[in-house]
Amino acid sequence: MKRLKGCLILLFLMGVNFTFAQSITVEGNVNDENGQPLPGVTIVVAGTSQGSLTDFNGYYTISAPSGNAKLVFSYIGMQTLTVPINNKLVVNAVLRENLEQLETVMIVAYGTTTKEAYTGAAAIVDNEIIEDRPVSSFEKALQGTTPGLMVSNSSGQPGAEATVRIRGIGSLSAGSAPLYVLDGVPMSGSISDINPNDIESVTVLKDAAASSLYGSRAANGVILITTKQGKTGFTKISFSSQLGVSQRISKGYDLMNSTQFYEQSWMGLYNQAILDGKTVNQAQDYAHESVKEVVGYNPFGVENPLDSNGKLIPGTQVVTNTDWRDEIYKTGIIQTYNLNISGGSESTKVFMSLGYFNDSGTTLGSDFSRITNKINVSHKINNFLNAGINSHLSYSKTNAPPGGSGGANPVRSAEVINAASPVYDGAGNYDWGNKAIFDFNPVGLAALDKYIYKTKRAVVNIYLDVDISPSFKFRTSAGIDDSFDEGLNYYNPDHGNGAGVNGRSSASRSDNLAWNISNILTYSHSNDISLFEVLVGQEALGSDYSVLSAGVTDFSVPGKPELVWGAKPEQPGSLISSWNMASYLSQIKYDYDSRIYLSASARLDGSSRFGKNNKYGLFYSVGAGWKLSSESWMPQWSWLNNAKLRASYGTSGNNNIGNYASLGLYGSGANYGGFPGLTPVQLANEDLSWEKIQSSNIGLDLTLFSKLTTSFEFYNRNSDGLLFARPLSAGTGIGTILSNLGAMKNMGIEASFKYNLIDNDNFYSSIGLNISTNSNRILKLTTEKIVSGTKLLEEGSSIYQFYMREWAGVNPDNGKPMWFVNADSDDKDENTLPDSAFEDPLGSGKQVTSEYTDAERKRLGNSLPKVYGGLNYDLSYKDFDLNFYLYYSYGGKAYNGDYVANMHDGTQSGTNLAVDAANAWTPNNRYTDVPRYVINNTDQSEQMSSRFIEDASYIRLKNINFSYQLPQNICDSWKLSSLRAYVSAENILTFTKFKGFDPEVAINGTTNNNIPGVKVVTVGFKIEL
Amino acid sequence: MKTKLINLINAAFLVLVLAGCSKDFLDLEPTDSISEDEVFGSYVTANSALMGAYDQLSSFSFGGLYNPIMADIMGEDVMINSVNNWNWFIPVYQMNVLPNYTYIDSPWWAGYKLIYDANKIINNSIYIPDATPEQITNLVGQAQVLRAYAMLKLAEMYSPAYAKNPEAPSILLNTDSDNLDLDSGYKRAKLSEVYAQIESDLIAAASQLKENDDKGFFDSRSANALLARLYLNMGKWELARDHAKLAAKDITLMDVNGLFTGFSTRNSETIYAIAYTQEDNNTYLSLPSFYWPVGGYSSMRADKDFVNKFSRSDARKSLFLKLDEIDKDRYLIVKFGHNNAVGNAERICIRASEMVLIEAECEAELGNYTEAQDALYLIQKRANPGASKSTATDQALINEVLLERRKELFGEGFRWQDIKRRQLPFVRNGDHWVKFSFTAQDPDYFRLTFPIPQSEIDANPALTNSDQNIGY
Repeated sequence: MKRLKGCLILLFLMGVNFTFAQSITVEGNVNDENGQPLPGVTIVVAGTSQGSLTDFNGYYTISAPSGNAKLVFSYIGMQTLTVPINNKLVVNAVLRENLEQLETVMIVAYGTTTKEAYTGAAAIVDNEIIEDRPVSSFEKALQGTTPGLMVSNSSGQPGAEATVRIRGIGSLSAGSAPLYVLDGVPMSGSISDINPNDIESVTVLKDAAASSLYGSRAANGVILITTKQGKTGFTKISFSSQLGVSQRISKGYDLMNSTQFYEQSWMGLYNQAILDGKTVNQAQDYAHESVKEVVGYNPFGVENPLDSNGKLIPGTQVVTNTDWRDEIYKTGIIQTYNLNISGGSESTKVFMSLGYFNDSGTTLGSDFSRITNKINVSHKINNFLNAGINSHLSYSKTNAPPGGSGGANPVRSAEVINAASPVYDGAGNYDWGNKAIFDFNPVGLAALDKYIYKTKRAVVNIYLDVDISPSFKFRTSAGIDDSFDEGLNYYNPDHGNGAGVNGRSSASRSDNLAWNISNILTYSHSNDISLFEVLVGQEALGSDYSVLSAGVTDFSVPGKPELVWGAKPEQPGSLISSWNMASYLSQIKYDYDSRIYLSASARLDGSSRFGKNNKYGLFYSVGAGWKLSSESWMPQWSWLNNAKLRASYGTSGNNNIGNYASLGLYGSGANYGGFPGLTPVQLANEDLSWEKIQSSNIGLDLTLFSKLTTSFEFYNRNSDGLLFARPLSAGTGIGTILSNLGAMKNMGIEASFKYNLIDNDNFYSSIGLNISTNSNRILKLTTEKIVSGTKLLEEGSSIYQFYMREWAGVNPDNGKPMWFVNADSDDKDENTLPDSAFEDPLGSGKQVTSEYTDAERKRLGNSLPKVYGGLNYDLSYKDFDLNFYLYYSYGGKAYNGDYVANMHDGTQSGTNLAVDAANAWTPNNRYTDVPRYVINNTDQSEQMSSRFIEDASYIRLKNINFSYQLPQNICDSWKLSSLRAYVSAENILTFTKFKGFDPEVAINGTTNNNIPGVKVVTVGFKIEL
Repeated sequence: MKTKLINLINAAFLVLVLAGCSKDFLDLEPTDSISEDEVFGSYVTANSALMGAYDQLSSFSFGGLYNPIMADIMGEDVMINSVNNWNWFIPVYQMNVLPNYTYIDSPWWAGYKLIYDANKIINNSIYIPDATPEQITNLVGQAQVLRAYAMLKLAEMYSPAYAKNPEAPSILLNTDSDNLDLDSGYKRAKLSEVYAQIESDLIAAASQLKENDDKGFFDSRSANALLARLYLNMGKWELARDHAKLAAKDITLMDVNGLFTGFSTRNSETIYAIAYTQEDNNTYLSLPSFYWPVGGYSSMRADKDFVNKFSRSDARKSLFLKLDEIDKDRYLIVKFGHNNAVGNAERICIRASEMVLIEAECEAELGNYTEAQDALYLIQKRANPGASKSTATDQALINEVLLERRKELFGEGFRWQDIKRRQLPFVRNGDHWVKFSFTAQDPDYFRLTFPIPQSEIDANPALTNSDQNIGY
């Protein structure tokens, strides 16, 4: 932190007068309580704007108008000290640490401020939280650290980004991800290209006062990433390394072994024959005869392994019993190496880093590696010009097999291929005959197919600061963020996706170049008790995304994925997609007597993305802070160290839609009979406009008993004109039109507490807790109801409200599924009972039906948690440090689509089953929740219903870290500046009732055969020279 | 020095500010798609939009695969395998579908997209500045046939038979895609209204279009053929016969070899075929992929009772094979073959033999038994030179024609509608793995009409679940 303070103090000097008057010159040294020199302390002659700064040795000189003047020494994190000169020529000062720790410099929108003066809701996460974590990307380390910040990591694919939401979901369908700004450059590519080790701090801007200077991009909050900077003084070299071992996060529900599946399939065939009217003997014969065909293999050593009841004859040898999960999942190794060099002179400061990250992945065919380089340089050209460059370069390579429900998804394969199917045939070759996804042996495909993605990334910005006059300061900056992506998918000629075309290779190259130019002029004026600041600026930005893709089929040489090996080219493609924005912004701040803080901002954005009737949008905010504890009328309670009240109101916008979403368009590629064809792809909407968000925030910061720091926030975000692809009747031809459709409200309370349990020379112990609640409600929709997948959108409900038929259980008399009729539900207008309705034999007293379509859909809760947050504990004794984070999420629900696939009740006959399915209804097992198992079942029991909605609440030990710092005297004798080693465990424990691998599913509460999350144990060290 | 610099910066600031204001900066257009105005700004692009509409027709979820395959497995002659088929079309064969199934949903949306594409061409072609009147007529005429084709298919699938109740609620009727009313939605039009619209489109197209030698496009002949189908559904026998005759006029039926080779590329009697090419076809989602015994899903089988209906000397009996190494229980079908590559085959949608059979059926209905017997014999003797001409009359003759339609047209997507338009009993026996027996008077007959997709009911303000078809 101190390094940051040191470099930021320069920025604080804007507007401080450097000109010299003819008067007395005073010099001196400034030290801290321990006698260490303090560089960068601001010294101002009281009542004037004359100031100076201590150098690296804590030395300063200053000229004062007279020998009676007073000097004010201030330094961030220290108590401000006022010393009369009394005609002395040498004035030394000792600054004491400010225990309240309130004067923290914050990086905020287009500048910096102090925590004290800030009127918005923002949280800072510094690098201590992010370092040492075995994560490819910093946002995963943010989970549970900051109230109001929801981080959901639904895939264990190495290098995958997490879903981040600030204060709920602000949008129906436009992007809800926050804007990321890296050292002032709005990022347009993936944030996983950033090395977490390069990050000095992360600022999460939550309310309008904090973020609305970003205007139409601020609706979902803003995350500012500040990277490390060099500082004046000795060159520091540090090297850190960690090695982690990862595994999938949990075992998941049990799947059937080959015997169980064979027996279950026999039962399904038997039941099918009985329902067909066959006799018991005929049915047995039929089942015996067909079971191998249904399962695909006879996994036993004998021809007829089952007895007349379909049970394995005791003593039968089991030849095949494949645990496909064991075949697909492996132990991953995570390696990180970082080399940092930082240092500088009075005029030039440099920070350089080189980083390598490698995660070999826990799933066959998935891994991620990344090399990063950072160079940050700032240079003071003369006494009014300062220039700098921040550059980030990275190269990453990912192998990522496809997700979703396609045959090539290995995660799905592990769940659906039955255990009777062998990985290898008798001759040791891959066996391709499984019945669930024929010709897709995931182990074979991992060896033969390729899914390679590479990204080269450069984020570079340059700036020039001009001190025009003591009060005026100007910064011009320009930045680019360029991602160059390559992708190569290769399907081998013999099996799986490529078999029909004798192999297929598709390659793509894309370049996403985002640029921005900004010019910011600031004016500041201060006197004894007040500070006035004005900012005006202009910004222009844009991005051009271009892509080139090509593919070939028909490969003569196996295992060679490059396009030259294919004989038949496929339709290539290329396109460029662009958007631009032109903006003007302004901000005014006024601080009075360190008691009252006021701020206001406005921004005008014009964007190419919106309809021609709605190109421009104006966004503004106002905020106020009131430090109650500094008021003279406040009783001087000893237990109240600090009390500050904040309030803000403002607007922002969301522009996360496609670049050309307002236009009526015809697309290419609809070719026919060898002639090129065009086809309508999008309906026009000339009124398409920004989503407008009005947010208000009230916050209270308290420090009590010098030990308990708390902060409470209450917020309300109203979004209006929500962008939504409104579903249309087929009569309109194209199924949807993007419209500004509705209004939504997110309301919540955030609280954070930090209590210092023990704080003395050897012992330090603190505990922190944060709690967030969010309620999401749709206020207005122009269409009465929108049913979309598992969800119903309607006024008054949450965006992720489940809507489906309500499961009533299994009819004990015949094993058929039952759903509650819910005739009074508004799914169908009439409230009459269908003919198929009958009274629930399980005694609920309600009417049920075994005809799926006769049951009406019902609202069944939503996927968003009611409460979530984190708890962290920190204990250090001498050179040992132990800390852990718990993350909790309570009250969210999930529709477990993965589990549905394993509970198919016979519709997907060769597909593997969960062991739970063995509890299927039989005449001897009448009271069960699993319906009868019938091959080619027509009971519809696996259709979408509350049968598969689960409670996704969980508590997770997110991270536990134990570290040891080598004592300073030993370091000194080894000529080291410091050495630290640690052991850390990530996601090691999870408490949940959820059946799948991981309750941390997609934010909308659905599962999608994603690679499960990982748990990691890491050892690492950091050495500084 | 300092003042100079400040001036310089101020100037730079202004330049940037002004640059930000320029109009072009905020008006961008995509490079991979074009606006509607541009499409109808020239004949070349408008004609490409017509190609796009044909492409829509050729999609696997409509004319390419779903329409023909579902129309046969919703019958009694062929079936889809219960195993080794990865569950394709299983619920359709089981005649146990739900409104949210993709087999219900996809053809509906594909059909309406085609109607939208056609509407655009019909309503905007007159504004094409560089098009000649003939070109405009040709564009509009073909688009009208496309629209009629889609509407007729949708009406057959999603509404009860015209013969049962011409006033029954049918499909949505939209012929104007330029003034969309998003808020009021579309009610289900009466079957008679939909048929009137189809009829007027086809009559206009039949008179305006010329004959096109390229049978990959609709022309006057195919418009007449579709009119024949329309009138057949309506029981307007004279009109159906007249238009069938117009459609098949001067066409030489293919010879017996054509029955074995004629279904992968267009043959001499093709009136319209979806013109797939080797580069542009639906590969696995194609008729040959499902029908041909190797090279695709290969999961279609023929019912043994159906195979037994062919006389031993009927060449078409050779379209069925038993090959133990592929399926030891059921008959394979070798009617729809691949052409060099998986899925590479044109799909013959309309051919003259069907027109001859329509003629036969209509003449029989009209009491012109000799003409009916002659037409029927034309089809029979091609497959079996030794066949003797029918001497039956009245209902017996009609039944013979209907049986001949099954034998001649199986796999081409007719059986479902033949049962339905004639309100025949549905009897599935033989070696089917899902059997049925019900008559038009039984409640089960609802199974012969698809439900309106749930997605439509949910999105359409004018429909509620109460508008759903009976039985769903």
